[in-house]
Amino acid sequence: MTWHSFFNMSTMENRHLLSAYATVLVIQAGYLARVAWQWHRTRAPRR
Amino acid sequence: MPNSPIRDKINPMEQRSPTLRNLAWLWFAIAVAVLVVGFREAIFLVPSDAAQGDVGRIFYYHVPIAMWSLLFPYLNFAASLAYLYWRNRDPLKALTADAFALASAEVAVVYTSITLITGSIWGRAAWGIWWAWDARLTSLLLLWLLYVSYLMLRRFSSTGQTQTLAAVLSVFAAVDVPIVYMSIRWWRTQHPAPVFFGGPDAGMDKSMLPAFVWNIIGWGIWGIFILLFRFALERRRQIADQDAALQAIEASLEIPQ
Amino acid sequence: MKPLLQYASHVLNHLRKDLRLEWRSRDAINGMLFFALLVVVVFGLAFDPTGYPTTTRQISGGILWVALLFASITALNQSWARELRNQVLEAQRMAPSPASALFLGKAIANMLFVLVVEAILAPIFIVFFNLQALGNIWLLAVILPLGTWALVVNGTFFAALGLRARNRELLLPLLLLPISLPALLAMVQATTGVLTGDLDPIQINTWIKQLAGYDIIFTTICILLFETVLNAE
Repeated sequence: MTWHSFFNMSTMENRHLLSAYATVLVIQAGYLARVAWQWHRTRAPRR
Repeated sequence: MPNSPIRDKINPMEQRSPTLRNLAWLWFAIAVAVLVVGFREAIFLVPSDAAQGDVGRIFYYHVPIAMWSLLFPYLNFAASLAYLYWRNRDPLKALTADAFALASAEVAVVYTSITLITGSIWGRAAWGIWWAWDARLTSLLLLWLLYVSYLMLRRFSSTGQTQTLAAVLSVFAAVDVPIVYMSIRWWRTQHPAPVFFGGPDAGMDKSMLPAFVWNIIGWGIWGIFILLFRFALERRRQIADQDAALQAIEASLEIPQ
Repeated sequence: MKPLLQYASHVLNHLRKDLRLEWRSRDAINGMLFFALLVVVVFGLAFDPTGYPTTTRQISGGILWVALLFASITALNQSWARELRNQVLEAQRMAPSPASALFLGKAIANMLFVLVVEAILAPIFIVFFNLQALGNIWLLAVILPLGTWALVVNGTFFAALGLRARNRELLLPLLLLPISLPALLAMVQATTGVLTGDLDPIQINTWIKQLAGYDIIFTTICILLFETVLNAE
């Protein structure tokens, strides 16, 4: 595959391939972002 | 009392040690690097599947994540047992175990959710159905439900009881998982033959191996990273709570002059 | 005109309060969502959609509504809990605003919560049961809100009715289900008719009209009788 054919949205198969990879990215990055944001919101231990 | 010996004992992990931070960043960088290589292998380098075409590339994300998603429930089980063991013997160790149990449960839900959703997307494109009530899918769905219910219990239960109740539920869930798997397997079988074990199409073509291996290593390293990050966050919260409680106690001690 | 606007603003205030409180904890919505999902999974295991696709389509309307019914009951059971804890009902007796405004605000809030759950649940339900609607699927956009309102308006009312009863949480389904049967019949028949395409449009429209009539009648009764229930000492 090439970048071009990867982002090709014309066939159902390709759309599903794209959305599957997007799902993984969104969920993992989203969870990481949530943990990171809460990390910054929590007070660092006083030392 | 900034240098109180009590505080030293309570917060063994609160050192804002640069070594730990650097190690964390390094691990994160390794995870991302391996995943990038894995992505490149999966999309650009490995040949497309003979039967399914390019849609089959979902395999390189779906299967590694599915495999790792079976690990985290066991970590949660181990941590919950540790919590129950240490609960009355060493409260501080118990607290750490509880933090680890929560972190591993959350990561289990994340990985299982991804497995279910990508599997569904793949199933629709490759085999025409979004879902089937066969042994493997149903078992995985039930695993997901069990650990979501664990997280709900943690959220809804009153403070003080949360940790013990959650640990108990975790034991139930862990014992239930193999039972669920066996019972549903007896009930039916329809999922395509696993690529590694059994079935006429057993084994993966050697040309697919690089993508698979890079991704399985990559998602494993990532899983460990995110698990430990979440664990550290929970520990930080616990320590912040303890600090606040300690401050309240100290303040109340200073009042009578 | 002015009293009507005043009434509406009371209702709006109660509604806003409930929405804001729920938004802060999101307990009821999360609980409802997970519970409805669990019911759908249990039915999926019980009725095996993969093995019997035609039968599944015929019973799917019923399954969806049973799932929503159970989920709504769990939420309705504790919908007055906050009011009870904070002595709101006593305060309401001393306030000049009509009690029915409190009721209406809460009913609308509950309605919104259940609609959110439906919106999330419907696609999942379609996936798990491999459904393809054979009839006009846009009718569902009419049937679902009408049916939901029927359950919610009566449910909120009976939840308040049983507030000081001994077995409060058991009482709600015991009271709600018999009264809701005509509405349940209509919503299940209409939904199944749309999904299977077996009923012709006239019959589906009749069910929808019955549902709408039920909604109007019982909303009126609830509004008129709420004050009585509140002061039923």
